[in-house]
Amino acid sequence: MQVFLQTFIGGMSLGAIYALVALGFSLVFRTMGLVNFSHGNVVMIGAYLASTFYLSTKLPFALAMVLAVGGTGLIGVIIERVLRPLENKDFDLMLIGTIGFGIVLEALAIIIWGATGNAVPNPVASAPLQLFGLRIRTYDLVVLAIAATAAVLLVFFLQSTKRGAAMQAVAMDHEAATAVGIHVGRSNALAFMLGAGLAALAGGLVGPLLYVNPTMGGALGIKGFAAAILGGFGSIPGAIVGGFAIGVLDAFTAGHFQGYSELVTFLVFTVVIMIRPTGIFGERTVNRA
Amino acid sequence: MFSSLRRRAAVMLLGLALPVALAACSAPGGDQGDAQKSDGPIKIALVDAQSGQLSSLGAWELKGARLAIDEWNAAGGINGRQIELGVFDDQGDPTVGTNLARKIASEGYIAMIGTAESAVTIAMAPILRDSKIPNITSGQSPGLVAVKSPFLFLNGPTSVTYDETLAKYIVDTKGLKKIAMITNNGGYGKGEHDAFTKSLAARGVTPIEDQVVTADQKDFSAALTTIRQKNPEVIFIGAEEVQSGLIVKQARDLGITVPFAGAAPQGTPVFADTAGTANVEGTIVSSPYLSNEVSEASKKFAAAYKAKFNEDAEMHGAKAYDGTQILLNALKTSNVATGQALADAIRATKYAGLLGDFAFDDTGVGIFATRIGTIQGGKLVAAG
Repeated sequence: MQVFLQTFIGGMSLGAIYALVALGFSLVFRTMGLVNFSHGNVVMIGAYLASTFYLSTKLPFALAMVLAVGGTGLIGVIIERVLRPLENKDFDLMLIGTIGFGIVLEALAIIIWGATGNAVPNPVASAPLQLFGLRIRTYDLVVLAIAATAAVLLVFFLQSTKRGAAMQAVAMDHEAATAVGIHVGRSNALAFMLGAGLAALAGGLVGPLLYVNPTMGGALGIKGFAAAILGGFGSIPGAIVGGFAIGVLDAFTAGHFQGYSELVTFLVFTVVIMIRPTGIFGERTVNRA
Repeated sequence: MFSSLRRRAAVMLLGLALPVALAACSAPGGDQGDAQKSDGPIKIALVDAQSGQLSSLGAWELKGARLAIDEWNAAGGINGRQIELGVFDDQGDPTVGTNLARKIASEGYIAMIGTAESAVTIAMAPILRDSKIPNITSGQSPGLVAVKSPFLFLNGPTSVTYDETLAKYIVDTKGLKKIAMITNNGGYGKGEHDAFTKSLAARGVTPIEDQVVTADQKDFSAALTTIRQKNPEVIFIGAEEVQSGLIVKQARDLGITVPFAGAAPQGTPVFADTAGTANVEGTIVSSPYLSNEVSEASKKFAAAYKAKFNEDAEMHGAKAYDGTQILLNALKTSNVATGQALADAIRATKYAGLLGDFAFDDTGVGIFATRIGTIQGGKLVAAG
């Protein structure tokens, strides 16, 4: 029982990270119908910015995170601006464009920070909480709280603000949205910016849990993408549930199947997707393909 | 809609396959004549991960090799010819490695330094053997010896030596019998797992817990909680630097206080940084190169390394330095031979290096001893 619960707790903390990554994937997809393949690399840039501000300039972790989210959001805007001429014209080129951006970001990170990467010390120094023989890292609680706050703010933004409503409108029908005076390009830029900001949030938070290096985006991107698909691609609650599902699933397969855990995780994922091709929250607001 | 989806999938696949195809195209061909030229620079290839999670290994190895070659070049090279070091990035990936093996063969490199990853080196070995290019690797997996390539040499001991020394210290010297293991299923971790289990078995000890993780696993809660419940006296880790660091960090968070034990990766700064300096205190390390202070030669090496790269030397740099010195000595004694003659010259080279006295046997291993150190106050010191 103790192993079971401790495994669950371990899975939740990385699950929160996957959920944030999945949110970014889903947000861009529901708005533009585009899979942003550079998303994992944007996560990595966010992790580097946060750790650089935190370690080199000795800023408090929270401030370093805010700067990283802002800076990375800007990169999102740039990516969208470069790809904008292709919007509604050639989708395949746009997809390849995001792949290209991913490669560029990784190369840039190697040029700026070197290939080796660095370890980030835990910003929350207090000892783990002890509860019925279980140990809960205080930093995990911080990660969960920040992820939850980000998700709530995002839902609030999409449902209760004018800009958010405009983004939803673009997602449903971009031509009709244009007809009623919504600037589609600006809406897309906002989606990319928020997506990149969420990626930076995930990257910055995962830094102290893992090791920041130029290729860290690969594994996080794939798990985040799988989480988004599992939850229902484009669905906001789906991304959150999918993220935790992948995190916890990963933790349990690691316990039971050891060396074969990765295989089992993705087998389970495949079976779920075969049974429910639209994911758990099978809404499909967008179909622009 | 459907056809457009399918088209998109095809484009995606193409996008993924393109770099691979390009790399493959550039591999064969080229001209083979360069190797025999008796003027111009002597071309030596260094293949290592220069990007990715294993790139710290590659960076250290490059520095060690670079230092040795620059020393020789400054002293006039070999037979008046300068030595040229070509650097290739294998990304820690065996597939990339095999492509690079063909590339260095076609570009006329006469010998290769690296890689630091056993799995990559094993993948490259058949191609290098066919091309008769001697290779001095920093890998330590027993699998390297199993390849039985007369062109493959190790610049350090194999896992068998590391883990035999470690098991001897833990079980015989310290009398610890309750040992848990956590290893990854990659090339290095698998070698460590098998070698250490075997050394324990020879002492009649069975590990009380044997957890295997994947090479890019990030969360070890399940494995470590299971280990904690068995109350081991020491935990053996067989994983690379970063992953070992993450395992120790998470173990301490989970309330595991017993020391960890392992081979070379646990003696590196990357391991200590990733885990946190306080968390690695007391770690038992089996290594052929404990510190820069062990001998006059190592002090000289460390000073030169510091002067050149402005960072402290560590074991991987020292291993690569030794390996490169052996290769250059062999090139000198053989009058810049290539192929089989160069391999024979390397095998015949007796070299007093930073790691100890090298004398190669038929398996390509030149050194058969490691020392035990423990991390105290953030520094690796010899165990008394």
